[in-house]
Amino acid sequence: MNNQNVAMTLLLCLTGQAIYAADYASETDYYQEFPVVLSASRLSQPLSEAPNAMTVIDRKMIIASGFRTIADLFKLVPGMYVSYYKGSQPIVAYHGSTDQYARRMQVMIDGRSVYMPLDSTVDWADLPITVDDIERIEVIRGPAAASHGANSTQGVISITTRDAGVMDGKSVSVTRGSKGINDVSARFGRRGDTLDYRMTLAYSADNGYDNLSAPPNSIPVAQSKAAGLLNNSFDSNQARLLNYRADYHPNAADRYDIQFGFNHDVQAVGWTDSVGNPVHDLFSNSGFVQLGWIRSLDDNAEFSLRYSHIGQDQHEAFTVVSLAAQSVQSSRDEIELQHTLPLSGSNRLVYGAAWRNDRVAAQGYAQALFLLYKASPAYSSSSNTNEYRLFAHDEWRITPRFLLNTGGMFETDAMGHQNVSPRVALNFHVTPQHTLRMGTSVAYRTPALGESTFRILQPGALFVPNATVTSPGLMPERLLSREIGYLGEFPDWASSLDLRLFSDQVSNGLFYDTTFKKSFVNGMSSAYQGLEATVKHSFDEDRHVTLNFAHELARSNAPSLVAAGYLKLVSSAPWTNDILSGSTPRNSASLLYSQHLAHDVNFSAAYYYQAAMQPFDRGIIDFQPIQRRVDACVAKAFNQGGGVKGELALVLQNLFDTKYTEYVANNVFNRRGYVTLTLNW
Amino acid sequence: MTPAKKIALCLLLLLGFVPAAFSAGALHVLVVQSDNKPLYHTFTKALAESLPATVDLSTRVLAEDFDAQRADLVVTVGVAAADWVADKTSRPMIAAMIPADSYAGLLEKRGSAKKTSAIYLDQPWARQVRFVRAALPERRKIGVLYAAETRVSVQALRAEFARNDRTLVARPLHDPDSLFSDLEDVLAASDVLLAVPDAGVYNGSSIRNILLSSYRRGIPLVGFSQAYVRAGALCAIFSTPEQLAAQTGAAIISFARSGDLPEARYPALYTIDVNREVARTLGISVSSAEFLRLQVDKPSGNSR
Repeated sequence: MNNQNVAMTLLLCLTGQAIYAADYASETDYYQEFPVVLSASRLSQPLSEAPNAMTVIDRKMIIASGFRTIADLFKLVPGMYVSYYKGSQPIVAYHGSTDQYARRMQVMIDGRSVYMPLDSTVDWADLPITVDDIERIEVIRGPAAASHGANSTQGVISITTRDAGVMDGKSVSVTRGSKGINDVSARFGRRGDTLDYRMTLAYSADNGYDNLSAPPNSIPVAQSKAAGLLNNSFDSNQARLLNYRADYHPNAADRYDIQFGFNHDVQAVGWTDSVGNPVHDLFSNSGFVQLGWIRSLDDNAEFSLRYSHIGQDQHEAFTVVSLAAQSVQSSRDEIELQHTLPLSGSNRLVYGAAWRNDRVAAQGYAQALFLLYKASPAYSSSSNTNEYRLFAHDEWRITPRFLLNTGGMFETDAMGHQNVSPRVALNFHVTPQHTLRMGTSVAYRTPALGESTFRILQPGALFVPNATVTSPGLMPERLLSREIGYLGEFPDWASSLDLRLFSDQVSNGLFYDTTFKKSFVNGMSSAYQGLEATVKHSFDEDRHVTLNFAHELARSNAPSLVAAGYLKLVSSAPWTNDILSGSTPRNSASLLYSQHLAHDVNFSAAYYYQAAMQPFDRGIIDFQPIQRRVDACVAKAFNQGGGVKGELALVLQNLFDTKYTEYVANNVFNRRGYVTLTLNW
Repeated sequence: MTPAKKIALCLLLLLGFVPAAFSAGALHVLVVQSDNKPLYHTFTKALAESLPATVDLSTRVLAEDFDAQRADLVVTVGVAAADWVADKTSRPMIAAMIPADSYAGLLEKRGSAKKTSAIYLDQPWARQVRFVRAALPERRKIGVLYAAETRVSVQALRAEFARNDRTLVARPLHDPDSLFSDLEDVLAASDVLLAVPDAGVYNGSSIRNILLSSYRRGIPLVGFSQAYVRAGALCAIFSTPEQLAAQTGAAIISFARSGDLPEARYPALYTIDVNREVARTLGISVSSAEFLRLQVDKPSGNSR
């Protein structure tokens, strides 16, 4: 005991009774019981133990990227194709996309599946969360139906929003920038003994992309104009959203997650020179409610029950000859039960069951359909489907070096098909720093409602399905994936390497047939092979870099389908006769560098590269040349005193103004910048 | 032979005593618990098991029931019992399960060090620091958040960490409402968070958000009880009530033999526990508990 403490003790002796109880720790401090906080569902799986290749985008990367939209974040995932049909209609697809509705991925927010029932795609602009509500994104590259359910075919995006207890106070943030960028958000949160909650109110607006003003790729002006390529797009977007998350933990064993949110989004859609889809506003209202209950059981076991509801109501009015209007209402209810059960110290089983109900109702009225095609001017459809699934996943540490992940999902899908999606992966820790992974899995994608009930005559921006099935007998797409992965940690060089060689084969692939039936048909077989790598390196404590690279070769039976008369599959890419091969960027890369400077200044820079490609269902006029882009971000944190802290950040995107075009060449990405001021108190 | 008895015997051998040496008449030992709670019963039960039949043990489950009855030795369990009994008897006393920092205050009340021994509850800082170093050799900035200076001897801790090539990032709580902003400040400057027995910071209602905040930043928490490890701390070094009881038993036997109380001591026996799930998730490879113990014990003669 040092002298200071003796003096303190003596002093206390003179001044008070029961000295130890009040001023010193007692055995009750040492032996108090605590609830299990970091339970199985809280702990994320380390990459070296995961049964799949996985990319994690954490808050640090989100901040360093400077991105203000969620879809852009996926540019940091090797092999991910991120492009735009409109400024607020991103396409996020692994292994490329066959059209503007990327529908081969499972996308979840806090475990709630958010791809919409109609076309199995995510309406990124109408999600009720902002980039700043995200704690972490895990992207599984490859199928993972055993652990993530239906539609987990090409990959899984799993977004975890920030904990209810992440903030205790208030925060406001204002962003102003070029291209009409104008964001405001207010957040507040409270941490309590049994209840934590946080809430976000946000407004986000921008004017989308710049228009293409001159013909690209030496296409003649007349052809560009005829193809509807120049100065004809409006894609401004305004979203008003709210989300709330509460975590109620009344005792050591139970935890309740309560969430709800809304987004009212107005986006400009259409083209000035389009007859069927003139420029107009598309209104989308989306909302969700999610209730979760997690009960911690003895021996690290856990039981969880989750209910979620998502809904979206969209409508638009526009003039095609005379006034036309369309609306779509979609909703989904889902219940999932899950039991996590350690069978032994080295074996853990997760199993459960889920039910899902999807409903879509859509209506349209366009006099022009009657005038031009003698079709009924009023049309509508509705659908109500159920699907059920059982799943189990076992993680067995056979020895400290070998980890075997086995799992499977059995589903009865919305169309009544029954599928079994198995997965097996073996992770071999050559040393604790070096891991080899071999895995194989099968997953199915049930055709989207929009594919089985595709309508040919489709004015406007919304899609109203046909009242009856137009593509009878569609089967689920099947994907077989095989991969070999390597994860290495090199502490001496402060570096890590994540390498993956993969071979994915799609059978029963769906494609749009315009020759014979004008509907979707099965019959495309495709294969994707490639290599993906992520290197992370820290130069020192303050300087970090992440490099992602993907080299991918895709091929399909499209040439023989073309020979058989399916002319929609004729390749527009001059360098290949395989439409799929041409539409998959052969090489893509991203680099994110961040540096902490003196005086609370942070600097980051990013570089994005994508090889030239020909978007699958677009003509040669939408050819996407090599895309190169550099973003930079500088932020200065300050402490105003009196409990007020803040940050001023400047983001410059496409610093060198490479003016690249997107999935539709009408969209030109010019240099843009914005400034964000955030205050916390 | 019960495990506790075995441990007591081992300890005795360790301390150089021969158990056969005590043969004088039955020794009357009165155990005074701080409260009628499982923690103290566990201690008393383990103590009884560690003692030979020649020791006559009686128990007061509540400190308030203490009377200065004819006992050759009083063993108090916990701070409240020690506090209660201290000036009510002049008989030899072993205050078991008290923090080392409170011993001086106890002596003040008792007057005589010869008749007042203690088995401390807490680990010596040197051991704690060696433990952090052994478990997390690559982490060099150790964060500590505390509310009351009296609960953590920051100077001693800083010196100990400095000796071990580590930097202590210690911050006092500004006020009770600023716990989480103060915590964020500590976490921002450190790569390990070391929990301290300060209920102003670490209590049943705050532990959740402390663990979640540190986990979000990938910073492991090092605790000081099994409950911390179960809750989600990476690891902890601590002495169980059974281990303290075994050491107390050895002290009683030594007293029976020599008539002298051993001097107050830190726990000779301790447990190391690691939460493997948390370690894996944080990507930290922590050595086995046995290996950590070897490293913690390396410089011998460290119990004080």
